[in-house]
Amino acid sequence: MLEIRNLQTHYGHSHIIQGIDLSVGAGEVFGIFGRNGVGKTTLLKTIAGWVKPTDGVITFDGHRIDSQAAHRIAQHGIGFVPEDRRIFPGLSVEENLTLGYLQAPGRSRADNRAALAKVYERFPRLAERRRQFGTTLSGGEQQMLAMARVMIGEPKLLLIDEPSEGLAPMIVADLYAIITSLREAGCTILLVEQNLGEALKFCDRFIAMERGCVVLSGNAASQADRDALIARVAV
Amino acid sequence: MSEAVQYFQFVLAPQMLIGLVLGVAVILVALGLTIIFGLLDVINMSHGEFYALGAFFALALAQIGLPFWLLLLLVPLLMLPVGYIVERALIQRVFHSGDRHVRTLLLTFGLGLVMEDSYRLVFGPNPYRPETPITGGVEIFDIFLPSYRLFLIIVGAAIIAAVAFIVYRTRLGAMVRAAAFDRDMAASLGVPVQHVYAGAFAFGVALAGLAGVLLAPIYSVFPTMGRDFILMAFTVVIVGGMGSIAGVVVAGLLLSQIQAIVALYISPVWSDPVVFGIMVVMLMVRPQGLFGRLGHG
Repeated sequence: MLEIRNLQTHYGHSHIIQGIDLSVGAGEVFGIFGRNGVGKTTLLKTIAGWVKPTDGVITFDGHRIDSQAAHRIAQHGIGFVPEDRRIFPGLSVEENLTLGYLQAPGRSRADNRAALAKVYERFPRLAERRRQFGTTLSGGEQQMLAMARVMIGEPKLLLIDEPSEGLAPMIVADLYAIITSLREAGCTILLVEQNLGEALKFCDRFIAMERGCVVLSGNAASQADRDALIARVAV
Repeated sequence: MSEAVQYFQFVLAPQMLIGLVLGVAVILVALGLTIIFGLLDVINMSHGEFYALGAFFALALAQIGLPFWLLLLLVPLLMLPVGYIVERALIQRVFHSGDRHVRTLLLTFGLGLVMEDSYRLVFGPNPYRPETPITGGVEIFDIFLPSYRLFLIIVGAAIIAAVAFIVYRTRLGAMVRAAAFDRDMAASLGVPVQHVYAGAFAFGVALAGLAGVLLAPIYSVFPTMGRDFILMAFTVVIVGGMGSIAGVVVAGLLLSQIQAIVALYISPVWSDPVVFGIMVVMLMVRPQGLFGRLGHG
């Protein structure tokens, strides 16, 4: 589903992603782990089109997307929930959500409304607060809103960056319940997470990154691979 | 008591009405400016020349026999592609550079000079006074007001309401605001950000053009007409809050009333210095203006 070959990304003169190869199959939950500053977030941003790679190829569902604009990448079915949630100030919860319709431009109005109703059913707190500005929600609710507005476009691949950061354990559990349900619905997930213990419960496969390169790849079901990951990444 | 009423009726109220008409005119010019600034973070120094372009379009089209009422619709429609092309062909080219503010400011300043000289070459330096489409006057509470100025106040209010509705109450407006606040996140939700930017610039330019059509019968049409309003429009945008529609309306009405009152009680010579002084004080004590910004480009 997602194929990455020799990906290179620079920020000015800094070489952040230094030749990554990755292959993610449909329906997988794929973990990307590593210490701070190794390029995990930049990798997701490059896939989402926020940062243009300086070399390499990214294909998704047979489409080459590395040179496409971010909105086109979204319309191919790649949703991105960034680390800092990026809720739009000055937009209500419902406005934040309905912007997500544009990820699926060919969908009918009725289907859009049905997608909104489904999201409200899954996140009743957002339905209660639909008229409120998104930035007035609590941290956990904002994370839910960030997830929900991407889910409204029914993405095939979801990129999630540090979803549990700064959230209470109960909310983290809710969040992972949502990720599980997305996985059961057939959504492919690329997950960047510092909380290894929690994330490994949901991953099928994973990689560990150091200095912009993949230094370890493994299967989450294998205890040996998990031990190797923890030895490499855990601080 | 009756002296006070007479003073209000014959001195103060007419002066305030003049201020109100000027305020609506300035708001119409400043609306497009504030949308472009709030969304794109671009200080459009050629905005006055786009206002003049609208007036010259109207002048040229009126000469081939098109009625004023049709021009109110046609000129903004003509201005839309002009603004769209200017944004995509010129502004986008320097938009992503590190010193965006300086480059876009100089670019639009240069564009304004080219446009102004072009008007002089094509239409000559002399002013044209288009026919007033509505003649006569009305008396409101015994105060005489030319009918066209009343029409301008009503249409101006309708335009302001329509713009506020589009920006704050429609999905299109939500797209524009989202792209203003966070272009990357908006793009990842499928918003075609570059087209939204170009569209918003075109919308601002079309509003300037519409202001040109509406104000031409009052203030005449000449190559440097953009300069007359642009300083006041910039002042209104800065005092109201760069990018705020409510700010433009409140600051436009407030500052034009202050101008009118200063002209009455001190001297017309002092009306501009007082207003620009308010702008300077505002920049010193509350640089975000009365209402803050729409976004940050």
